[in-house]
Amino acid sequence: MENKSMEFVQKPLPESVLKTGIILLIAGVVIGVIGLLLDFDRMIFSYLIAFVFVTTVSLGALFMVSLEYITNAIWSVPIRRIMEFLASALPIIMVLSVPILLSMHSLFHWTHTEAVANDPFLSGKEPYLNTTFFIIRVIVVFAVWSLYYFMVTGNSRKQDLTKDQKLSHRNLVFSAAFIPLFAITISIFAVDFLMSLEPHWFSTIFGIYVFSGTVLAGLASVTIIIVMMMEKGYAHPALRNDHLFSLGALLFGFVNFWAYIAFSQYMLIWYANLPEETFWFLARWEGYWVVISLLLIIVHFIVPYIVLLPQPAKMDPKRLKFISIWILVAHLLDIYWLAMPQMHSDKSGFYAIFEIGFPIAAVGLMIVVFAMNYKKFNIIPVGDPKLQRGINFRI
Amino acid sequence: MNVDLTKEMPLIEGRLTLAQIEEIIAKPLDTKPNKKYFIALSITLSLLLIGATALLISFYYGVGLWGNNQPVGWAFPIVNFVFWVGIGHAGTLISAILFLLRQKWRTAIARFAEAMTIFAVICAAIFPIIHTGRFWLAGYLMPYPNQHNLWVNFTSPLLWDVFAVSTYFTVSLVFWYVGLIPDFAVLRDRTSSKIKKVFYTVFSLGWRNSHRNWQHYEKAYTLLAGFATPLVLSVHTIVSFDFAVSIMPGWHTTIFPPYFVAGAIFSGFAMVVTVLIFVRKIFDMEQLITLDHLDKMNRIILATGMMVGYAYGMEFFMAWYSGVQFEQFVFINRAFGPYAWAYWIMVTCNVVFPQLFWFRKFRRSIPVMLVVVIFVNVGMWFERFVITVTSLHRDYLPSSWGYYTPTLYDFGILIGSFGLFFTLVLLFVKTLPSVSISEIKAVADGAQPTHHGSH
Repeated sequence: MENKSMEFVQKPLPESVLKTGIILLIAGVVIGVIGLLLDFDRMIFSYLIAFVFVTTVSLGALFMVSLEYITNAIWSVPIRRIMEFLASALPIIMVLSVPILLSMHSLFHWTHTEAVANDPFLSGKEPYLNTTFFIIRVIVVFAVWSLYYFMVTGNSRKQDLTKDQKLSHRNLVFSAAFIPLFAITISIFAVDFLMSLEPHWFSTIFGIYVFSGTVLAGLASVTIIIVMMMEKGYAHPALRNDHLFSLGALLFGFVNFWAYIAFSQYMLIWYANLPEETFWFLARWEGYWVVISLLLIIVHFIVPYIVLLPQPAKMDPKRLKFISIWILVAHLLDIYWLAMPQMHSDKSGFYAIFEIGFPIAAVGLMIVVFAMNYKKFNIIPVGDPKLQRGINFRI
Repeated sequence: MNVDLTKEMPLIEGRLTLAQIEEIIAKPLDTKPNKKYFIALSITLSLLLIGATALLISFYYGVGLWGNNQPVGWAFPIVNFVFWVGIGHAGTLISAILFLLRQKWRTAIARFAEAMTIFAVICAAIFPIIHTGRFWLAGYLMPYPNQHNLWVNFTSPLLWDVFAVSTYFTVSLVFWYVGLIPDFAVLRDRTSSKIKKVFYTVFSLGWRNSHRNWQHYEKAYTLLAGFATPLVLSVHTIVSFDFAVSIMPGWHTTIFPPYFVAGAIFSGFAMVVTVLIFVRKIFDMEQLITLDHLDKMNRIILATGMMVGYAYGMEFFMAWYSGVQFEQFVFINRAFGPYAWAYWIMVTCNVVFPQLFWFRKFRRSIPVMLVVVIFVNVGMWFERFVITVTSLHRDYLPSSWGYYTPTLYDFGILIGSFGLFFTLVLLFVKTLPSVSISEIKAVADGAQPTHHGSH
């Protein structure tokens, strides 16, 4: 039973995609570096934000891959490679953590030995918050993600040639084992890179908060890419808007989930009104931060909620593309809101314009990574046993 | 594992015809209950009677008969309330969220789980009302303008509970009933009893299986699923607020809302599996509620169990990380204090035992899963006990520390709630189709149009 859809031939991406990526990457880095020279303390925060942003995009995509295997999902099989391509950036991002590790003194108050010695709370946290252990954790966390990435995509690529169903089962086992590790590692990542910026503050839900944003970032990126590929005719011709539906529904679901988690955290801290917790929110209520805090609710929740609520919107490519870009920007704003109030620089104003640099570079990096992968690998997992069912998927 | 991934797995075993499906599901309703059924019913009714007696005595002499006393003012009533509300969550998750996620395997278990939601919420509702000590004043929980100018405390999460749980109950009931309408019509058309016919006719609301009927039905069902989904989160979130908005170490922690929701789904699934194991056996529904179904539910138990485990770990870590000595004390006291036994029962039952479900062999073995799900039920009850009692019994003031011991009346009422729950379950299986006839038919072999070869 030979099927027409198996004859899909991958069209090469135009060179302009890679070029755009490289230009964005270089331009972003140049702007960022100029900023660093002007105001290091401020711009290193911007670097951290872009670093967390790009990690969450990549990691969110990786999580989607593992989710497909453990839930035995069908609809996502023809677009799984997009997730894998995005996730392939993780080993590169690990290297990008080096500038952060080199400038920890500017980022993390808990690296200041004299401050820690005079503060019983900080010295109590020293067994966890110390430079050596921090670096070890960064390495371990990224190693776990990269290892899973290599194992699962390695099998998937092998399957392209052998069509061996056993490889799917092996990936299912890897994915099942990965999920608990993912929960632990993303929590470590959240605590280390974002929560410990304010070392006095603590919140048990924080790992889940970052997780919700991570999944959103991954989903939104995948949605943008698949919609653009469908528009320009690079996707499998049998893919329909039905395939987008789950992406739209999941985006909608996780927009709500993020709001739920964010609300839970805020509500409980506000209601209990304990000074050891509230100061973190108070810092985000001072000066112009109140605008950003309120904006976050509108941008990260209300607008995507309204746009994605109607059933047809969840499979409308135009609307999905728009809202996915919107959500990525909102996610960046979210990270900005988490990290930036902790900045120690007292310069302000003009320098802020340079903060646009590193996020642009992050976008450029993802485009370059995607284009390189596209050149090297099949965009459709041609050997996946569920592929035909995935292509035939209709709501 | 030799599963061919290129094909969809059948959800029903043994290629049943549509008539056979109807036959299997309607059989418990058509046949007279046998002796075993009455034995079972008399057991559950006895349990219910024990509870009713304990409750009546408590009302007569006052709630001082219970173990609740300073410093543990919140004990069994709240523990049982949270436990039962939690049990209900599996039903809503299966009927609403799995529906929206297009998980077709839900069809065989949704009806039963929804019914259990309703029964569990009924059991749960008893406890906060009796805990007030004057249950006859419960009407004041509804805010309405009255001559005494008495108003409820809108800033109290206990009041939010009243709204959340009553909304939850209403929506679950409507959802359940809407799903039952086509089935009432099927039963109406096949019954030979005149009395039953009247009953089914009234409740089927004139259902004619027409295209338009189904169109409206599908739309209503999707909308209700959409309404019910936030309820899965909101109800247990508000229950967690009961604890978490306070400033009590061990209660006040931000992870509580999602942690409680995960725990609720965990315990709910465990209860559904516990009951379904017996139902599918006794009523010969093994072809409809297959091992695959149980396998999938066990996976959810494993996943939610680990979410709960994550929360336990996170709470411990953050208690240390916070550097707040009271937080640290509460958690060390939990694990190594006078209630260490309860804590370790909780950890063993909720985190350790479900790990068996990593293995396919255990997920599909009835004896193993029965043991595990019962342990989960026990563990989740203890979780609420640990949260409530251990945080209270040693508060900021060492001079007021105490040790809470429940009395016979506490146990009596708890047993009674189980009696009530299982009595309702038993009545349900003999009066209403415990598996959705129309939904099962829709997933039967050949019922779905396929897209093979067409684009």
